[in-house]
Amino acid sequence: MSTPDARASLAVQALGVSFGGVRALQDVTLAVDAGEIVGLIGPNGAGKSTLLNCVSGITRPTTGTVRLGDVELAGLRPDQIAAMGLGRVFQHPQVIAELSVLDNLLVASHRRLRFSVLAELVGLPGVRRAEDAARTEALEVARRIGLAGSLDVLTGSVPYGHRKLLELGRVILMGARLLLLDEPIAGLNEGEIEHLADLVLDLRSASGLSILLVEHNMGLVRRLCDRAVVLDAGQVIASGTPDAVLNDPRVLLAYLGEVPADA
Amino acid sequence: MISQLIIGGLASGSLYALIGIAIVLVLQATEVPNFAQGEMAMFATFVAYTLLATYGLSWWLVFPATLAFAAVQGVIVQQVVIRPLLGAPIINAVIATLGLNLALHSIAGMIWGNQTNVLTSPVAHLPVFQLLGVNVSPDSALTIIVSVAMIILFTLILRHTRAGIALRAASQNQSVAKLMGIAVSRSFAMAWAMGAMAGAVAGMLVAPILFLDVNLMGALLIKGFAGAVLGGLSSLGAVFVGGLLLGIVENLLGAYVSGTFSEALSFTLIIVVLIVAPNGIFGRVKSQKV
Amino acid sequence: MVSPAIPAAARRDRLLVAAVAVFVGAMALFGGGYFVYLLNLIGIFSLVAIGLNILTGFSGQTSLGHAGFFAVGAYASGVLAQRFGLPFWLAIPVAGALATLIGAAIALPALRLKNLYLAIATLGFGIVTQKLIFEWRGVTGGGAGLQVPTPQLFGVPLAEGSRMTWIIWATLLAGTWAASQLASGRTGRALIMLRESEAAAGCIGIHVARYKVVAFALSAFYTAVAGGLYANLVRYINPESFSVNMSIMFLAMIVIGGLGSVRGALLGAAFYVAVPEAVRGFKEAPGLIFGISLMLVMILLPGGLISVFRRRKPARAAAAA
Repeated sequence: MSTPDARASLAVQALGVSFGGVRALQDVTLAVDAGEIVGLIGPNGAGKSTLLNCVSGITRPTTGTVRLGDVELAGLRPDQIAAMGLGRVFQHPQVIAELSVLDNLLVASHRRLRFSVLAELVGLPGVRRAEDAARTEALEVARRIGLAGSLDVLTGSVPYGHRKLLELGRVILMGARLLLLDEPIAGLNEGEIEHLADLVLDLRSASGLSILLVEHNMGLVRRLCDRAVVLDAGQVIASGTPDAVLNDPRVLLAYLGEVPADA
Repeated sequence: MISQLIIGGLASGSLYALIGIAIVLVLQATEVPNFAQGEMAMFATFVAYTLLATYGLSWWLVFPATLAFAAVQGVIVQQVVIRPLLGAPIINAVIATLGLNLALHSIAGMIWGNQTNVLTSPVAHLPVFQLLGVNVSPDSALTIIVSVAMIILFTLILRHTRAGIALRAASQNQSVAKLMGIAVSRSFAMAWAMGAMAGAVAGMLVAPILFLDVNLMGALLIKGFAGAVLGGLSSLGAVFVGGLLLGIVENLLGAYVSGTFSEALSFTLIIVVLIVAPNGIFGRVKSQKV
Repeated sequence: MVSPAIPAAARRDRLLVAAVAVFVGAMALFGGGYFVYLLNLIGIFSLVAIGLNILTGFSGQTSLGHAGFFAVGAYASGVLAQRFGLPFWLAIPVAGALATLIGAAIALPALRLKNLYLAIATLGFGIVTQKLIFEWRGVTGGGAGLQVPTPQLFGVPLAEGSRMTWIIWATLLAGTWAASQLASGRTGRALIMLRESEAAAGCIGIHVARYKVVAFALSAFYTAVAGGLYANLVRYINPESFSVNMSIMFLAMIVIGGLGSVRGALLGAAFYVAVPEAVRGFKEAPGLIFGISLMLVMILLPGGLISVFRRRKPARAAAAA
């Protein structure tokens, strides 16, 4: 097991977000320690996406702080936050249909490739070498996650499961230390879910990544997560081990609208 | 003096608003910015002219007849040009409307030639009258009144008729509308028909003032777009105000700053406003779930 | 095994343009004047198409004002040559640099604008530019137009159309080469990702604002250089031609050819020049035929003309071809 990275810890403190008059998040505090997998669950509209948007820099928080390691993220651009080691996998794969799987993966090498636009236009030899190195790296990642066979295929023709894997491959290629996974198994069949779950666990144990996992599938949460945090109407209503949280009457109330008699 | 400019601005502004409404009706319903709107309106106006001048019919007949023509025109365009493009990137439909724009311009030239015609306004014989100490020409008054009437009419149709409500539902969410049994295609055709009618009315209002030739609507279309964007594309009301505002600002700039640069200045102003309010003055952001 | 060589798409782009350039060279030597004239125009508008494609095809920012950059290129190089005696091979790059700065400046307000709002803002830019050229009579000659001195190379006047052909197509070759470098590499991917989703692009490490500006700046440069070549070709320019209509035709060019494709840009330019010329003679026919062609291509070939050539390989990657 590799040493957990101090940079890979997320600390959200008293986070609040308001849009106009609507309070999407209120006084949200949660933490993901290095090497942890934390589940973020809650009914639709609870504010999970807003939370992810705040952490990744797409939305600016109204109050509170978000720290990655000891760096304050609020106010930074998404690409700056990505440079700090935050990787995000979106709920709907944001992939470019007209490009190959390999090219889509390579988008993640963007920061690593350090030549200027001008150098690229002119075709300096360093550009070619850097691109080739990136390709080799991408191939490695593709092999690791099981996409090696489809690298040349147009992403538009590739099955949905592969596109989800592609998103995961990107954050690995980026060298992210902390991952935000937004409903990674939605739309996948059983085999694909198994494959992805194994990958996630492997990423944590072999690479020491920390993961904040937004999920609706409670089985997966139980299986993968060390801890779980429950969000409802913008507020944290429970936090603890998956079992504790999933049996918590407040959580059941939020999901089912009522507490079952046998709770 | 300034009130005079404002009245004049309201008159031209209500024309911009009408075109803007025509554009946004179609835009909200089918997501296509119709760049052929101007030429469609010009075509309909020429039809009106033909009925008036060649057949000597009166405005009471010509107005509804032209509206009917425009409605049919809108439906045909939607069915023949736009419907096949559903699902393709929007820019394809934009280019298709541009093609239609060119084609209509040419066809109009072929049918009616390139000369300038005079279209007698229905209120030509009325004198200039005074309102609150300001001189108002009957044409200006007619323009403002008819434009406002059309906008109110459309708003009422959209809010209170079955077809109108169906149209709004279809614009919001096509798949849900389909599930509810609303004939989405029919709603879209209706949107295009309404847009075409609004455009035709604008054409009939402006032709008596500017003289009728095939280049009538070119500049007006751009202003229509500009006014709509200024107000914000989110509602008919926003578009209406945007168009009026553009008309007034243009007039004021023309008088107080520079006559030659009034259009350029207006556009610059719009760009500045958009920097501050990227979705127009009243625009609401359509948030996309990522 | 992943190919370490130049990506196939870039290779195809260059092969095509090289082949066409050879053909064009032959035509310039042996072909008739009218044909050469068309080839010159196609070369120039191909350059515009590639430039606009970088902005609209790759980064997804629609511009309805590119005639403005074309005009800046034409007028800047024309004025520099006529008033300051700059040789064309200096005047055009300087004009290009000027346009690049303007393009970068335009990009800044454009950062916040999307879709139709952006389109109308760029429309405004085009209108304002045309107006400024019209009114700045002292420098541009205003409505009377500007006479551009005959370009000279090593003392040889390039008055004959075919002489300009070499210059134009050499420039196009270089431009295509650079553009295909871009398209198949890091910047191309970044721009396309921008078009796909700004949020996702940011999260993956792409500086969204910077690349939007890069797209505008590059696009402006290409278009202005084309404008400069145009001015030196026709040698008399008038603000009336650099209208909204021209901007719209530019957009039509790249959509017809195939958005986001370097080869498509060439096809689109060829279409734009050839179709109206083919039906010349009947006064209204060019507009009508061209208009109908636009509609037909959009309905029948939504991927643009280039998609005809893509059909053979549906699943294999065409990459950013």
